[in-house]
Amino acid sequence: MRGLARWSSKWWPGTIPLAVIWALAGWFSTSPLETELAGRSTAALKDVLLDKSKITVSGRDVTLVADAFSEEGRRNAVATIEAVPGVRLVNDETRLVPEAKPFVWSAERDVVRVTLTGSSPLPTTKGKLLEAARADLGGVEVVDQTNLSRGAPPRFDEAALLLLDQVAKLKDGKITISDSKVSLAGMAREIGGREAIAAALKNLPEGFSVAANDIKAPPYIFQANKDPVALTVTLTGYVPDNNAHTAIVASAGRKFFSEKVVDNLKTSLGAPSGFSNAVVPALGALSRLSTGTLVVTDREVKLSGDVLYDAAAGQLRANLIKDFPQGWQLKADVSVKPAAAPVDATVCQQLFTDVLGKGTIRFESGRSNIDADSAGLLDHLIEIALRCAATNIEVVGHTDSDGDGPANQTLSERRAQAVVDYLVKAGLPASRFAAIGYGSTQPVAANDTDEGKARNRRIEFVVKEQP
Amino acid sequence: MMFLATFHWGWLVAALLLGFAMGWIAVVHRGHGVSKALAGWLGALVALLLAASLTHIVPGRVGYWLDLDLVIFAVYLIGCAIGSWLRNRVLPGPVSAA
Repeated sequence: MRGLARWSSKWWPGTIPLAVIWALAGWFSTSPLETELAGRSTAALKDVLLDKSKITVSGRDVTLVADAFSEEGRRNAVATIEAVPGVRLVNDETRLVPEAKPFVWSAERDVVRVTLTGSSPLPTTKGKLLEAARADLGGVEVVDQTNLSRGAPPRFDEAALLLLDQVAKLKDGKITISDSKVSLAGMAREIGGREAIAAALKNLPEGFSVAANDIKAPPYIFQANKDPVALTVTLTGYVPDNNAHTAIVASAGRKFFSEKVVDNLKTSLGAPSGFSNAVVPALGALSRLSTGTLVVTDREVKLSGDVLYDAAAGQLRANLIKDFPQGWQLKADVSVKPAAAPVDATVCQQLFTDVLGKGTIRFESGRSNIDADSAGLLDHLIEIALRCAATNIEVVGHTDSDGDGPANQTLSERRAQAVVDYLVKAGLPASRFAAIGYGSTQPVAANDTDEGKARNRRIEFVVKEQP
Repeated sequence: MMFLATFHWGWLVAALLLGFAMGWIAVVHRGHGVSKALAGWLGALVALLLAASLTHIVPGRVGYWLDLDLVIFAVYLIGCAIGSWLRNRVLPGPVSAA
């Protein structure tokens, strides 16, 4: 040992080249060392959940600037870097992501884009919601303006994803989560959208509740257009269900005796109450127009077109308002079709025969009350009667062979009289008409089938020159 | 430390060889050695630097250079010790002090 102490006193000259080695090592290794440590630290933090993380290395000291999502996450990040081989010190400049109180997230849709605003709990959630919004709203621009914040309610992701699905059903509007309360406002894209959204909200995750649902439905529209040239009645728009669909189309078939009914109706939820009870009489009114359009928007009925004679316009308004369910409104823009040229008795008879060949005046079964479905047909008959003012007309009633003879005779007479009364009410002079009943004595078809009986139950118009 | 050793092995080998050469020479060197007083001061300086390194009070790059210096110096001393010891073994007979 003494030798070693003695020799060591002479080791000092080597420290001069040693200082050179040290200087060279410091000069050449500092930068690569820092790069190496930065790379290792970044790799170590790859699986640690941080926002805005930035690593700077000076010598072997690592400075970590980052926003962490929990105190534990913050400690974990620092510990992870401390464990990186070669790191001497960690300058901890991490902080917690600010807490949002209340935690608000919202998705707003306007004409061109969907904007996400407010807070998102984690970068993964933020990314997931943006991706889901893009998928749900195919083609619509999605702008994510959310900030990361702590304080999200449990199951926030699930709720936000469900609500993004609902944004897709909106034309415009805003859906907001504030803590665990959900508010919705805006206009549904399609008929039934409001109901679909309300149904989907029942699946919100536990703990969430709907504070306000102010989603409005687009107007529920039903339209019918009577085209006298193409001889069609085109029904478009929506009906509440298949039963109403069948009933409305069948009713249109009865009311429009000479036109073909073109059915373009779709079934959808969201109809105003009393829809069928308003649409059926409104179709009856349309059947009395020579040309016209019926537009039902929510509870407002707009009827426009030409009636066939003066008195019809007033009758039509009065009857419709009486028939409508409560709360429904009528806007009738009805004018009178210019009177057609007068015709002589022969042409008049031909016109009556043509019209009655296309449709039959209907009555309540076994009674003489005229069925409302025949109003359109009667208006056409009245128009013809107006064109041949210089004639007298016999209105002749017939029945089928069901029931006894005297009863049928009486029924046929009463039915003929009911038609005459209707014509007189429309403004035609009573003196021109005679009501005659033949009971079942003049059948035009065999009475052994329902079809034959239906043909035998009829009213005929016989035109006579005035003496 | 292992990291420093693997990262700087070239420089450390250079320091070790330098120390070995210096140790080898020191056994037969006839010049003046470091006086005891100076050796004491130098020892105190090294102890101070070692303490500064272990307590991490010197920050950043300067701290790194301090660590590097101490490691290189330690390796140099080991090299010196080995060199001197081997030279002493291979010399014939006892060598008297200069």
